[in-house]
Amino acid sequence: MLGALALAVSGRWTETTARRFAVAVSALPVLLLAWGWQQFDPQGALFQLVEEVPWVPSLGMGYRLGVDGIALAVATMSALVFSASIAYPVDTQHQPRQYYAWMLFLQSVSLGVFLALDLLLFYVFFDLSLVGMFFLIGRWGHGQAQLAAFKFFLYTFCGSLLLLLAIIGLYLSVEPHTFDMRVLIEQQPLAGAGMTGGLVFLALMLGFAIKTPVVPVHTWLPQAHVDAPGPASAILAGVLLKMGSYGIIRIPFAMMAETFSRYAPVIALFAVASILYGAFVALGQRNLKRRIAYTSINHMGYTVLGIAAAGALIQETEYARELALVGATVEMVAHGLITGALFLICGSFWQRTAEYDLDSYGGLLRQAPWLTAFAVLASFASLGLPGLAGFVAEFHIFAGTFGVYPWLAVIGVLGILVTAALFLQMLQKVFFGTMPARWAQFADLRPIERGVLAVLSAGFVIIGVAPAFLLTLVEASATLLVGGR
Amino acid sequence: MLWFVPLLQLLAALVIHGVGKRWPGDDRGRAVLTLAGVAIAVATLLLVSVAVTVDWSGTYRWSSRIVLSLGMTSASAVFAIVVPLIAAPIIVYSAYHEASPVSGGGAERPPVGLVALLTAFVGAMELLVLAEDFVTLLIAWELVGACSWALIAHEWQKAGNLRDAAWAFLVTRFGDLGLYIAAAAAFAGTGSFAFADLAQLDGWRLDVFVAGVVLAAAAKSAQVPFSPWLFAAMSGPTPVSALLHAATMVAAGIYLVVRLHAELSAVAWFAPVAITLGLTTALAGGLVACLQGHAKKLLAASTSAQYGLMWLAAGAGFPGVALVHFVTHAFTKAALFLAAGIAERHVGSYSLNAMRLGRLLPGVAAAAMVASLALAGVVPLSAAWSKEQIITAAGHQASWLAVIAAVAGGLSAMYATRFQLLAFGRGRHDRTNTAASRPGHSRAEAISLYLLAAGTLTLSLLWWPGVGNGLADLLAVHFPKTRPWELIVSLLLVALGVGLGFLAVRREVSRQQSETRAGMADWLGLPTLTARGANAVMMFSHGLARFDDRAVDAGIRGSARFGAWLARLGERRGEGAFDGATNQLAKGVDWAGLVARRVHTGQMHHYYTGIAAGLAAILIILSIGALL
Repeated sequence: MLGALALAVSGRWTETTARRFAVAVSALPVLLLAWGWQQFDPQGALFQLVEEVPWVPSLGMGYRLGVDGIALAVATMSALVFSASIAYPVDTQHQPRQYYAWMLFLQSVSLGVFLALDLLLFYVFFDLSLVGMFFLIGRWGHGQAQLAAFKFFLYTFCGSLLLLLAIIGLYLSVEPHTFDMRVLIEQQPLAGAGMTGGLVFLALMLGFAIKTPVVPVHTWLPQAHVDAPGPASAILAGVLLKMGSYGIIRIPFAMMAETFSRYAPVIALFAVASILYGAFVALGQRNLKRRIAYTSINHMGYTVLGIAAAGALIQETEYARELALVGATVEMVAHGLITGALFLICGSFWQRTAEYDLDSYGGLLRQAPWLTAFAVLASFASLGLPGLAGFVAEFHIFAGTFGVYPWLAVIGVLGILVTAALFLQMLQKVFFGTMPARWAQFADLRPIERGVLAVLSAGFVIIGVAPAFLLTLVEASATLLVGGR
Repeated sequence: MLWFVPLLQLLAALVIHGVGKRWPGDDRGRAVLTLAGVAIAVATLLLVSVAVTVDWSGTYRWSSRIVLSLGMTSASAVFAIVVPLIAAPIIVYSAYHEASPVSGGGAERPPVGLVALLTAFVGAMELLVLAEDFVTLLIAWELVGACSWALIAHEWQKAGNLRDAAWAFLVTRFGDLGLYIAAAAAFAGTGSFAFADLAQLDGWRLDVFVAGVVLAAAAKSAQVPFSPWLFAAMSGPTPVSALLHAATMVAAGIYLVVRLHAELSAVAWFAPVAITLGLTTALAGGLVACLQGHAKKLLAASTSAQYGLMWLAAGAGFPGVALVHFVTHAFTKAALFLAAGIAERHVGSYSLNAMRLGRLLPGVAAAAMVASLALAGVVPLSAAWSKEQIITAAGHQASWLAVIAAVAGGLSAMYATRFQLLAFGRGRHDRTNTAASRPGHSRAEAISLYLLAAGTLTLSLLWWPGVGNGLADLLAVHFPKTRPWELIVSLLLVALGVGLGFLAVRREVSRQQSETRAGMADWLGLPTLTARGANAVMMFSHGLARFDDRAVDAGIRGSARFGAWLARLGERRGEGAFDGATNQLAKGVDWAGLVARRVHTGQMHHYYTGIAAGLAAILIILSIGALL
């Protein structure tokens, strides 16, 4: 059934003006995943709803799809962000058919990444997502769009080449050779393999770190974001970055537990560096979109910190590690929804004014109360206000990390202070104070924009207030991944 | 069931905000708003009293590790009752005192948004005091902070207000980090977030836990060195200041100390730290208040000082005393803020030197007098009783502590006198003066003030013999035994303070404020320091942003340039070389062809030698292969 899902989305026959069609198609996976949510049994095995079709049997390849709680949560969020981005009005530069086709293509391969249970399939989807995003940035972007697209593509492609090498390494390490993730997770092939294991691990982590991104391999991100159209940015931040952190959980974390635990402190250090560095650099930005782009680095830092803490095999810390892994997953979902909303808001700004400079704005509350309301809500969610999704995630991560690496948790928690500073300053500059005369014609959000933002906001408000449904699901898989080792 | 208490407020806030826009923009609108606000406060009070009598509690499950829970202890019951009690008159006051900031076209609309936010603020505070575990506490703790941000920024057209609001939020959030860490330490040590399991905590985790809680509480209740955020908070409307100081935000800090007193005092260093923090703040705040010329800032400094006294009591081992002082202080301070707001409406500024409205507003002056005297610690008013209890509590630790606490009491007598005389003394404005032409105040505002002053008077019953002991039994706390000499010293110091206050006012009229004094009055220069720190942080992040653009990215751009150079090199040299190689290859093949043609001689022996040579070559290759 999930295979059909991915295929259904690939059917990218869009009519010239039929955004509606694209929205309808993109909403299908949301519904299917919601159904998958119903079917998922938290008490059951790690992977459920598995679909398997042999592809190249001689090489042990197969078209294997399936979900655990983590994948299901992230995939549902991704589908939702895609639907929202597709529905969001944008200037398609007289090529609506191509634009929506690429969007749908990107959606199908992105969901493929999260649902794949086959290493090679994972890699194929992982790479195809680059292609989709490359064209979206290059053709519908603004500013130095071509350059940004090239940089994005080449930089992340380097990462995925490393990934390919590592995947082949993993493939060769099991007898019989297979790309089946379930077998690999079960067998832990490279445990105690010394040099080879270390190299494969390094290649994997580097590949995913570029995608996530972790400081210092993050510089493709801000430029790609600034020059991409709003909805593409929302997808880039909301979905594509998650492939990196999700990949860390799925492959090195699950398949090479021992090696991962050996290097977990190093990864955690990089994560803390990302948290603080991302936050401070974001505070130093004067460009609205760059500022939000850097907060993504900060937030992905929290995610990686949670994963690193969860992967440390330290005795008697199972509770804390489980908490950290749950937090990392919730952070992925929360960040996708929140930052997706923030980038869509940026897109609205660009559509109206073609201006990202924070200092040129002011006092927009009078002119655009709806825009202000959504921006304030999303900003507070992003800075981790309780009652909204960011808090649930960050609280889990810090509480979990403290049990494993107390000092890193104490340092990392400073990040939420800087984030608060940067968002409050941004709100102050854009929406409050006196309004410059040039924005007297600034128009408030249109109903469709309001609707889309309302859906995303509802997502992170519900997760913030009543996260039980999400936590139960994720916890089931986290327990298996952390405790079952 | 206990969830109804905070939820009622939070949902009501949404409803008021949503529906309120359609209410009429005139006085009828204000009346409806007042009714709604008061009705919600009264409903909350009723709910809380039911909850206290039938002992409600509530849980809400997030996951197998995290369960949010609410419960009622004596400390939370006191707070849960006092908060709406104080909030009700303040909401009435704000409905008439303030206007909506987006009211265009001259007509002032009632402050629907403000009242809605105040209601939400009260709801968040109720959640805070009812919390039984750290997750719930942290949720409420940060919600209170966010509400105060929105309230301080209420008049958003002035960018300065936003900066102050952000400042207040950030300083208190810095403290919140302590609570995050404390919660994490509790979880790491006990495997749950519940207050009930804290007894299992020990070792270094207990130290970390206590440090985190102390940091969070000190930042919220504006102890040194966090005190200046209260000055920044003065940019908010007057009713916001009143609620913030009397019952909600600042009170949250001392509530936490009272609530977790048993766990906190498990470490030896808690008592000295709390006493030092409290005393320092009480003395410094008193000094600042004595010098301050801005009516609301004087009261703000006094708030820090009074909460410092509560910290002292808690540190000395008598959280019950801190609790009672919180209640008496709440009524007093709320009344004084409302009075200051009314005075501002008459003269158009908060400068104390411009006021002296005693003749113009005798009723308001009398009500303010009650509150001022209570704040000064004049027997037999309510706050005086709790202040004497604090001094006695300090005396239980060491006699010299009691003396210092009494000096702090003397300082409060001095600034309270100063406030009363400057704001509502005789002179300047009388009924015929120009100030009377300003809009002034409505009856509703005055009534709210009278209600709070009446509350202060009612609480003065504490001096009645036996009431104190009854209260101690009711709250299940114990109060220290009063020693006569401490009471006498303290009362003498109060008298001295009042006298000095008179003197200070007389000299104030003749002299201009000097530079140093203005600096002292602004929290002894602390804000300048912090502003410098903030500037440094901003410079640091701008620098880091440039570094990120130029240095970190340079490696990537460098490798991209290297790639491009390689490509160009390839084009110039490599292509030529490859091309040449192909040509050479073609020539080679040509030559080989010629040679091959020559080999085809048609003579058999030539073929045989060729075959033999070939066989030999194969043999050699095979033998090499075998050897290997």
